[in-house]
Amino acid sequence: MRFSYNWLRDLVAGLSLDANSLARQITMKTAECDGVYPVGVLLAQASAAMIVEAFSIPGSHNRRAVVDTERYGRRVVVCGAENCRAGVRTLYLPAGKKQIDNIESDGMLGSARELGVSDDHSGIAELWEGEGSLEPDWIIEIDNKSLTNRPDLWGHVGMAREVAAICGLKMSSPPRVDLSQFSAEQLVGSIDASGCFRYSAALVKNVHVVPSPLWLQYRLHSLGVSTINNVVDITNYVMCEIGQPMHAFDADLLRGEIQVRRARSGECLRALNGEDYSLGDDDFVIADGERAVALAGIIGGSETAITLQTRRVLFESACFLASSVRKTASRLRIRTEASMRFEKAQDPENTVVGLNRASSLLNSLDHGAELTAYSDKYVKELTCPKITFDLQWAAMKLGKEVSRDQVVHIFRALGFEVTDKGGTTLIVDVPSWRATKDISVPEDLVEEIGRIVGYASIDPVAPLIPSAPVTRNRDHDLQRDIRAAFAGQGFTEVSNYSFIGSAALAAFGFDSGEILEVVNPIDSGQGHLRPSLIPGIWANIIDNSRFFTSFRLFEIGKQYRRVQRTDVKEELQIAAAIYALEGDGVAGISELKRVATYIVPQMEVIPVDMPRPYEHPERAGLLICSGSEVGRLFELRPALVERGHAVLLEVGMDALKAVLPDAKMYSPLRRFPTSNFDLSIVGPDRQPVGTLAKQLYALGSAELVSLEFLGIYALPSNEKSVSFRLTLGAVDHTLATEEVNSARERIISGLQAAGYELRG
Amino acid sequence: MTPRANVDCVPCLLYCLSFAILINMEDLKKRISETMSFAITQIAELCSLEQLEGVRVAVLGRKGDFAQIAKMLGTVPPGDRAEIGQLLNDAKRQIESQFQSRKQSLERLQLQERLAQEWVDLTIPVSGVQAGHRHPVTIIQDELEELFMSMGFRVVDGPEIESEYNNFDALNIPAEHPARDMQDTFWLADGHLLRTHTSPVQVRALKKFGPPIRMVAPGRVFRNEEVDASHEHTFYQLEGMMVDRDISVAHLLHFMKALLSSVFGRDVEVRLRPGYFPFVEPGFELDIRCLVCSGVGCPVCKQSGWVELLPCGLVHPHVLQNCGVDPKEWNGFAFGLGLTRLAMMRYRIDDIRLLQSGDLRFLNQF
Repeated sequence: MRFSYNWLRDLVAGLSLDANSLARQITMKTAECDGVYPVGVLLAQASAAMIVEAFSIPGSHNRRAVVDTERYGRRVVVCGAENCRAGVRTLYLPAGKKQIDNIESDGMLGSARELGVSDDHSGIAELWEGEGSLEPDWIIEIDNKSLTNRPDLWGHVGMAREVAAICGLKMSSPPRVDLSQFSAEQLVGSIDASGCFRYSAALVKNVHVVPSPLWLQYRLHSLGVSTINNVVDITNYVMCEIGQPMHAFDADLLRGEIQVRRARSGECLRALNGEDYSLGDDDFVIADGERAVALAGIIGGSETAITLQTRRVLFESACFLASSVRKTASRLRIRTEASMRFEKAQDPENTVVGLNRASSLLNSLDHGAELTAYSDKYVKELTCPKITFDLQWAAMKLGKEVSRDQVVHIFRALGFEVTDKGGTTLIVDVPSWRATKDISVPEDLVEEIGRIVGYASIDPVAPLIPSAPVTRNRDHDLQRDIRAAFAGQGFTEVSNYSFIGSAALAAFGFDSGEILEVVNPIDSGQGHLRPSLIPGIWANIIDNSRFFTSFRLFEIGKQYRRVQRTDVKEELQIAAAIYALEGDGVAGISELKRVATYIVPQMEVIPVDMPRPYEHPERAGLLICSGSEVGRLFELRPALVERGHAVLLEVGMDALKAVLPDAKMYSPLRRFPTSNFDLSIVGPDRQPVGTLAKQLYALGSAELVSLEFLGIYALPSNEKSVSFRLTLGAVDHTLATEEVNSARERIISGLQAAGYELRG
Repeated sequence: MTPRANVDCVPCLLYCLSFAILINMEDLKKRISETMSFAITQIAELCSLEQLEGVRVAVLGRKGDFAQIAKMLGTVPPGDRAEIGQLLNDAKRQIESQFQSRKQSLERLQLQERLAQEWVDLTIPVSGVQAGHRHPVTIIQDELEELFMSMGFRVVDGPEIESEYNNFDALNIPAEHPARDMQDTFWLADGHLLRTHTSPVQVRALKKFGPPIRMVAPGRVFRNEEVDASHEHTFYQLEGMMVDRDISVAHLLHFMKALLSSVFGRDVEVRLRPGYFPFVEPGFELDIRCLVCSGVGCPVCKQSGWVELLPCGLVHPHVLQNCGVDPKEWNGFAFGLGLTRLAMMRYRIDDIRLLQSGDLRFLNQF
């Protein structure tokens, strides 16, 4: 939202702060200022001037004009504009002397665009009779987001009220016309109160549609509002002044009474922007007896628009329900100055003020125009809150005492009415322009005091609270340990998006029934929520393999899926990868399995029965801990990683938490010596070592204290020999030689019974 | 291997001497003195510890020269025994002392030689697995969690897929409220959404733990925004809230100042100005005095001397009510920190996209 510094100064007499200082004050006390920039800079030198005579220069399209300027006396200029003729009042700029068409031209007459007053470049700017010269101005741009709760600050009067309160000055109200003198003719029919609180209208006849005077164009242009003609410009001026959006219909093009109703399903409207909109019964329209003529609170229809032929104008000044304006505007994707204001919940009192201001302006701009009728339908009245306000409580909230007098003064300066009930209590009446959405509870009033007093005056204070140990978040502690373990083992943490595209889902073969879909994705490649971290890790591997021949990375993040059709589930997962361009991948698998033991203690890996589509079928295993599956260790299929080998580890955080021991218990140190011996067992080439180890544990029973894997030796004829060192012992005595031998015999005969041979 | 075998010429002479039958006192004295001078010469000349030990055994050992001479003491007339014994002991002591000092110097030499041989080039670059790295946002998050825990704030979690109620309605942002425009939302087909801020965890934590509470909730949030160097649809926030009795703006200021001074490692000047967030009232934007220019004005603070850092405010009574907390009895403050933004400030990262890129050339720097 842009504010004209000059306009604010017109409304707040005695304002002495310059535009930049004012913007800083507004930022600290009202709303965030995005910037301050000058407009109409050239106007500082410009002077109103009357063209005394103007003659064509033979052989040139230029004219030689003699002008009487108010500031610089009589000057001769050469000017190419067609409207450079005697009797025209214009703006003269001293631009130095130069020879044009062999005539010395002293200064220039500028177009409105050259002067920075409007976009008009069709000729020299023309001043109206009695219109003075224009001044340079500053535009203060306020962040719209910080005005979301302040419908009153969408017009200059509201901001002027703030400025006056901040600076301790008085605000003056713009002049009005008394509307009650006009006949309250039936201009408006039925109003649907579910979408419109109030509808006020005025009928004006004998209108002459012409361009607006320069000062008016300048104001609107500086605020970024385009200028169209005097009638439309007046409605926009009123909107910029008091925040009340208005609309002007050509009254002769309306067929019957105006009404506000829900659109009929499929009803169409061609809007002023040239677009056709198809409406439904959630949308409210302004209609005449036959058709929709405007989209309520958003945009007018083109069929009833003001044209140069318009003679009778119906001004609409209404107040629509914020939520339905917003709903329709966002559904149809139209954002107008009107809809932006209405969706902030405008003050219904302003409809009449708006008509008033429009009539007053029209009187001054078009002397022939005559207001003939006026109508006001207030179907749903606003109730302004009355708030009981406790000064002591407010001081507690702010952490600062503010005197009763100062509080009362601040409230009154902002337009609140205050009744002093004695003690520490005030009764505060909220004015209509703050009552629609903005202020309803005492906390809202605390802000009014705090911001005007200035938050800088509050000193930081530590609260008095009982000192107590904080409850730690064990999940975060665990995550931190896991991150430290991975980082310590050379893994770098990545963070991938939660989104995934359908191509990646298909490539990894995920079950589409469980995938969650984003209704409004950024793009089609991010249309779903990831059901696994693996595709993201895979992309990291491919990307980084362009720069590194080997690397390790990991991620801790959520995966998401649908459960039982309507519910969603998100699970925290750990994924880690080792990539190497060189080698056959085996070293990576064993290394990642080693690192996995840092995360999942006491785990074993068993081959999977059902490899997933992206897993190498001969190199995929389940991580088992305390009998439960906690994750997977696998190599990515060669089709996914064409150069080199990538080994991945995936662990579910919940599954991991379930198997981690709650508390560790100490086991007493062994008091009696142990004995050991080695065994080399011959078995089939693909007999898993893990299976053998399990058999050894079973055979060794309680006497087998530990089993150390020594190595594998390949034998001819698809066999291998696996060597273990077995350590035997007892808790309560030293095993006798006979005991060791008998256990050894038992184990060996057990192995032989299972079909293994032993190597000597 | 006996030491004697290493000593070739020395013992021959000594053996001959030991078999003399007639003991002449002067002969005996001469023998002692000759044996001693011979041994001392040998000790001084020998260069290995093994040879040295050989000489020691040959002269001083149980079957050595002096042992042989001592055996002859019996044949010496009793009147002279004391003199000869004295002579013998002096000789032994001298040899022993020479031997020890020679041994030490040889050991020293040997150690020096070993040390010299064990030279290693310590400047050779390491190979193999290098240290890994935590993500820069993780580093900041861990640091802030520790910091808040030290100030009595517990760390709580909430889901990334949220209900519309928790993300908006409970936080005093009803449907069709224009404040929803501030947070472009990703919607799921079933009506769930991806949380647009960590604020819904306020609601969950208040409902679960009730007042009094001090909590922070770090996590991933989503906004439906086009991505460029300064905008991301995925980023990290840390929500904070304290609900207790009689909590004021002055308390909020205290915690913010303490927090930010610790984060930036120096005293930070803060200021509050009005800001609109429906779940707080009054609501603030908190600015810090620009750390780059100390407030003089620079491009980082857009010449204003202040950098907008975080939104905060006193918890709106409607939010407390929505969480089943009586706002007449309890009140508090809340704030939202941008973890991603802090990480970018800390490490001067100028492109937000790098954080989610998975690019190890970037991530290995932290």
